[in-house]
Amino acid sequence: MESQPLTVSSWPQAILHLDADAFFASCEQAIHPELRQRPVITGKERGIVAAASYEAKAQGVKRGMSLYEVKKVCPDAVILPSDYETYSLFSVRMFEILRRFSPDVEEYSIDEAFVDLTGLRRSFHGPYGMIARKMQETIEAELGITVSVGVSLSKVLAKIGSKHNKPHGLTLIPGTDIHIYLNNLPVEKIWGIGPNTAAFLRKFDIITALQFAKKDEGFIRNHLSKPYLEIWHELNGRSVYAVTAVSKSSYQSISKTKTFTPPSGDKAFVFAQISKNLENACIKARRHKLAASRLIIFLRTHEYRDFGVEMRLSRPSAYPADLFEKLRDGFSRIFHPLCFYRQTGVVLAGLVPDNKIQYTLFDDISKIEKMVRIYDTIDRLSDKFGKYTVHHAASLPTKLQTQHEGERGDIPKRVTNLFRGENKRQRLGLPMFHIKV
Amino acid sequence: MNRDLQKDKLRSRTQAISGFYHQKGRMPSFSEVAEITGLRSKNAVYKLINQLERLRVLKRDSKGRLIAQSIAFRVKILGTVEAGFPSPAEEELADSLSLDGLLIQNPSATFLLKVSGDSMSGAGILPGDMVLVDKGEVPKSGDIVIAEVDGEWTMKYLKKRAESVLLLPANPNYQPIRPKKELKIAGVVTAVVRKYR
Repeated sequence: MESQPLTVSSWPQAILHLDADAFFASCEQAIHPELRQRPVITGKERGIVAAASYEAKAQGVKRGMSLYEVKKVCPDAVILPSDYETYSLFSVRMFEILRRFSPDVEEYSIDEAFVDLTGLRRSFHGPYGMIARKMQETIEAELGITVSVGVSLSKVLAKIGSKHNKPHGLTLIPGTDIHIYLNNLPVEKIWGIGPNTAAFLRKFDIITALQFAKKDEGFIRNHLSKPYLEIWHELNGRSVYAVTAVSKSSYQSISKTKTFTPPSGDKAFVFAQISKNLENACIKARRHKLAASRLIIFLRTHEYRDFGVEMRLSRPSAYPADLFEKLRDGFSRIFHPLCFYRQTGVVLAGLVPDNKIQYTLFDDISKIEKMVRIYDTIDRLSDKFGKYTVHHAASLPTKLQTQHEGERGDIPKRVTNLFRGENKRQRLGLPMFHIKV
Repeated sequence: MNRDLQKDKLRSRTQAISGFYHQKGRMPSFSEVAEITGLRSKNAVYKLINQLERLRVLKRDSKGRLIAQSIAFRVKILGTVEAGFPSPAEEELADSLSLDGLLIQNPSATFLLKVSGDSMSGAGILPGDMVLVDKGEVPKSGDIVIAEVDGEWTMKYLKKRAESVLLLPANPNYQPIRPKKELKIAGVVTAVVRKYR
């Protein structure tokens, strides 16, 4: 039973999943070559491990661990502040390299992508494994980071492949071999199946992914919901989830949060933080020509307790001036004067295209148009002179305290080591080697 | 006028090849290119392919077969604005090169590096200068390279002789370096930029 293949055709289609190995830490090792083969950790400004290189993982460092603990288990670790600008540049380049091979590249996250390779064997004159190997080699040569790759018949299977042998792995799962890879895989390791579903499936003696895949369709339909039926099809080599190549322009919601240390109980300062979150989120919404119909705000105390409130807007908007009243109102409902806060956040939800806004009966159209003109100008000023050239006065008190004081206030080298003509907000869009020559 | 005509011809031929690629899902052979573009000789096709290769529209593999490059994406190459009056300035500027394009051959493999030492001052590279380093290039003798020699990082001229490799400074105060154990080349310096004000 276990040795019976799930399907007899090897490559009816080929979908590749690529996952960068310890992405943030690898980027740091790529631009600081002296850090290769050394335990590297990013996330200094957060006080916890955001990413750990494989050298650090080998010594017991895990994601989310506090840096205090890291110093105990791995005293020689190099701890760096996150340099998201560089990581984003690497990410964009990684996707560009993938697009040289196939136009169907789905940017799944900053360090993960799905690529549809179906039909490319003839233009590359070689098997799918060779194409995948070439992608891996190009990324390694041009970016200096390693990636793990899985190729199979569906997204779910490709993801199993890329996880199978990390780091720097290349795993091909043709249709005829699917059962071999699923046989020893616990069902909760499947993309989309969480601990609760796994526990539920255990009640039916389904422990491995193969047992799940071999169940008949009737069983799945009777006991589970549609997403699990889709996963079941995908595991059987029938691709349900297509690779969607469009870059991310449609958002469900836009959220902006900021953590600051030390925590603050100063009302003006905390409000300034949340006002800046709002300005930030609105800038992003306007860039994508969207407007929010719901506004969610939250505060996190230094004891990690969250307080939030969701508000419905009478008219969708992406202009802070429009939203400040609601923001102030919600803020006063959740802010307690005796609490200390470490994080603020804003979520713009219910996003609609900004050309499809329905005005209410009581809106003053001329006033709104004036506001639109003001923000258009602000956006143009930001393009020219950098973000926050002009901002709301409510956000000013953020300058009362640097974002992180003390050791956590270290900023990435790229920001301090500027060329003539670069400034704090605008720098050349190329990653920078930090080598002394 | 003659130039415009040539450009139009090139554009329509590129479109023909692109159409073939998107319809059939593969690149045409040389004789198929002749067929779809109306060229009569293989030599003319060869010249066209050479031209398109220079424009990075397509590429040839080791066996001479065609590989799609920018043609694979439905982006208009050689694009000039189609609407309105064609302004003579626009036509001319369509072929102009940006400073970025001039300095950076391979955008996804180019890194910045701020120079701190003066060992290449004779080559016009001074402390504080910005150099562009291409990780995708194959280093050739005579190139300025960023290299790790026996655990130390350096920027020098690469000189390859029959059997040995030598790293040469461009400053009499420094000695040439002969790698003893290991030489790793991180990239080739393709440009130096210095901004005065």
